[in-house]
Amino acid sequence: MLQRLSFIPGRLLQAVPVVFGVTLVVFFMAHLLPGDPATAILGDKATPASLEALRVQLGLDQPIWAQYGLFLANLFQGNLGISFSFQRPVAELVFQAIPVTMSLVLFSMVLALAISIPLAAIAASGPNKPRDLLVRFFTLIGQGMPQFWVGIMLILLFAVNLRFFPVGGFGNSPLDNLYYLFLPALTLAISISPVFIRSLRSSTISVLGSDYVATARSKGAAGAPLFRQHVLRNAAIPTVSIIGITLGYLVGGSIVIEKVFAIPGLGSLMLNAIYNRDFPTIQAVTLFVGLFVVIVGILTDIAYTALDPRVNLTGKARA
Amino acid sequence: MKNRSSVLPMTLITVGALLLSGCAAAGNAAGSADRQGGDPVAGGDLVIARSAGATSVDLTTVHNNNSIFVADQIMEPLFMGTDDGKEVKPWPAEGYEVSDDLLTYTVTLRDDVTFSNGDPMTADDVKFSIEATTKTADTGGWGYLNEGIDTITVIDDTTVQIMVKYPWSPFIAVLSLFSNAIVPANYGGVSAEEFYEAPVGTGPFAWGEWKKGQSLKLVKNENYWQKGKPYLDSVTWTVVPDVNTRKLQLQGGQIDIDEAPDWSSFSSLENTPGIVATAFKSTLISHVAFNQLSKPFDDVHVRRAIAFAIDREALIDAVLFGNGTPANSLLNPGSPYYDKDVKGPTYDIEKAKAELAMSSVPDGFSTSISISSGNTEQASNAQIIQSELAEIGIDMEIKPLEPTATRQAVQSGDFDMTLTGWTMDMPDPDHWTTFAVDPDGGAKSDYTSYNNPEVIALNKAAQRENDPKKRAELYTELQQITGDDAFLAYLYYSPYAWATTDKVNDFFVTPLGNYHLEDVYKSE
Repeated sequence: MLQRLSFIPGRLLQAVPVVFGVTLVVFFMAHLLPGDPATAILGDKATPASLEALRVQLGLDQPIWAQYGLFLANLFQGNLGISFSFQRPVAELVFQAIPVTMSLVLFSMVLALAISIPLAAIAASGPNKPRDLLVRFFTLIGQGMPQFWVGIMLILLFAVNLRFFPVGGFGNSPLDNLYYLFLPALTLAISISPVFIRSLRSSTISVLGSDYVATARSKGAAGAPLFRQHVLRNAAIPTVSIIGITLGYLVGGSIVIEKVFAIPGLGSLMLNAIYNRDFPTIQAVTLFVGLFVVIVGILTDIAYTALDPRVNLTGKARA
Repeated sequence: MKNRSSVLPMTLITVGALLLSGCAAAGNAAGSADRQGGDPVAGGDLVIARSAGATSVDLTTVHNNNSIFVADQIMEPLFMGTDDGKEVKPWPAEGYEVSDDLLTYTVTLRDDVTFSNGDPMTADDVKFSIEATTKTADTGGWGYLNEGIDTITVIDDTTVQIMVKYPWSPFIAVLSLFSNAIVPANYGGVSAEEFYEAPVGTGPFAWGEWKKGQSLKLVKNENYWQKGKPYLDSVTWTVVPDVNTRKLQLQGGQIDIDEAPDWSSFSSLENTPGIVATAFKSTLISHVAFNQLSKPFDDVHVRRAIAFAIDREALIDAVLFGNGTPANSLLNPGSPYYDKDVKGPTYDIEKAKAELAMSSVPDGFSTSISISSGNTEQASNAQIIQSELAEIGIDMEIKPLEPTATRQAVQSGDFDMTLTGWTMDMPDPDHWTTFAVDPDGGAKSDYTSYNNPEVIALNKAAQRENDPKKRAELYTELQQITGDDAFLAYLYYSPYAWATTDKVNDFFVTPLGNYHLEDVYKSE
């Protein structure tokens, strides 16, 4: 097993140019946007003189290559720079937002799996029977409803009418956060679980028809133990890669949900940074999301390797 | 020799302010949240939700209201705008005297004012603070508004003498500007950056905790100079970007105040039990700005034709759901020297056609209006104006751009027409009129390149005129000529929309947009 994981250091090295490429592209794309940080900060009451003074203050009068060079030089010293809009170290802002978004993403993933695995199992246990049709109907509805609308409906029902949960916001302790993040995580789970259910359902149906399941059945395995030990492990493999991709998408793509539920995560931070042309913050968030996607990719490969002994990502032929 | 005449009104205002502070409920009643009567209740945390958070609490440089209205609960200027937004009253100052030549102001400080850390506020702190603000003119801060200040001298602990470079009427109003808030001399021995991580001031609330982009909490200043106030233990501003979520949080009792409900849901909030929706009088004016460097907007007849072609009532009904009044002047009714009798262009399609016929483009022309994408108010206004201008033969394309991009385009003169607005920061029209009509006054006449020497001279004269009556005459003339010149097509005056739960008492927003949380209390 250890030998089969020897691809990890190589993958990490490959990540370096990928992440730098991403920061380079984002840096220049952000600078291509019309409107600069001084315009964003000073607003409608800016005068040409105050705009110019602020540009000098922020170092925006330097050539763009010099600005990128400074960003890289700072980065090598572990310094992400100072946010233009908050005038505070960017690291402080990003490290405040990371746990928020990560909690939301992981929580929604747990809920999505909690919804998907039983529903996929129910559907696969009787293809084209009413229970399968019902589950497939749910996946259609789940995928068809816009996230923000589901969010508002959940708020109306569970927060305003029943008062089980708060209307958005973020708590002060991990336990508090489970309570605050339940509805947004459920909203995300509803929107991502249809893909999991479809993938799990179809792979479960195909696994159920395979010879080794027939063999297991002939040996007397049935019900939940058969599903856990023989079916789920094999059926999960395609879904693992979908989970990996979804995790990467969720970290950068939960902006709408963060807005509806007033969650101060990376999505909100990034959106505000773009509106305010807060280049150092844009860079830092991009850097983190890039790193995260790379790490999730590696973790997905590890999960693959662990689930399926035939998978070999070291590039070497097996002896 | 001192000019006592200017001290008397200030003294009366001071006495009035003290009387009012003793019966704040009565003084603030007009247009405010539900008044419960009875004695204020001490304690509680007030939660205010808003669409965006504060970005900085350095009042000398920060330009967004989300930051300013929080930071001015911690740090106060020497003078304060009155609740009607038209005058200035002493705040931690006793009053002032001005010399006959109008060049020397002697400001007396109250001797019972301390910072939230318990240190007394003295003349040294005042000199340091105002000088620090003035220096920010070089770094993009508000210092340029202190341009008329020459020297500041400390006479004794409670007396400061300020020399101005020329007779300068708005001076005391400038001292009431948030950017001239008083902080401890030399920032209490730390750097400016360190100081503004947890600032100290003489305001009703002291620094608490800031989770950037999430919430900012201030706690009661136990040493506040207005004895017995504030009533609240703390105030928390939370960031809730979505307007529907804020409304639901208010209904669900999770927040006490929604800072900006939208007009489309305002009347439904008004009718919701337990919610008080209030439209506070503002200094907000919305208008169409013309770029006079872009033809044919250098032609006054073209500008007038457009100004006459816009049905303001239709905009108010469609965009503000009736919550506004058509604008007739460059100034807002919430500002001093506003003249309701000034005749700015109003909706008259025949006059619009006649003006266009007299213009350089009698058969109409094609043009564009730059607006901020995602701003529904601007989008609706632009669509209505587009159809109205089509009636007189003007084909106007709507150009939505991301807000900062639009602002940059406007500020660099790359636009034909745009939708903008203004709110006052101090109870004196000078900041706005100078910004709007004087090309050398900072902003190329609100970025329109409007240049009328007569108006510029009137504005300068009003700036230097100390007699309120004569000043009023000058501003009336200025309002009339700028209306005739139609360098902006004034659209409407709109109030500030706020919603609170009915447990919030004595919450009042001044026309300048700031609010005095020291008066607010929560009932059970």
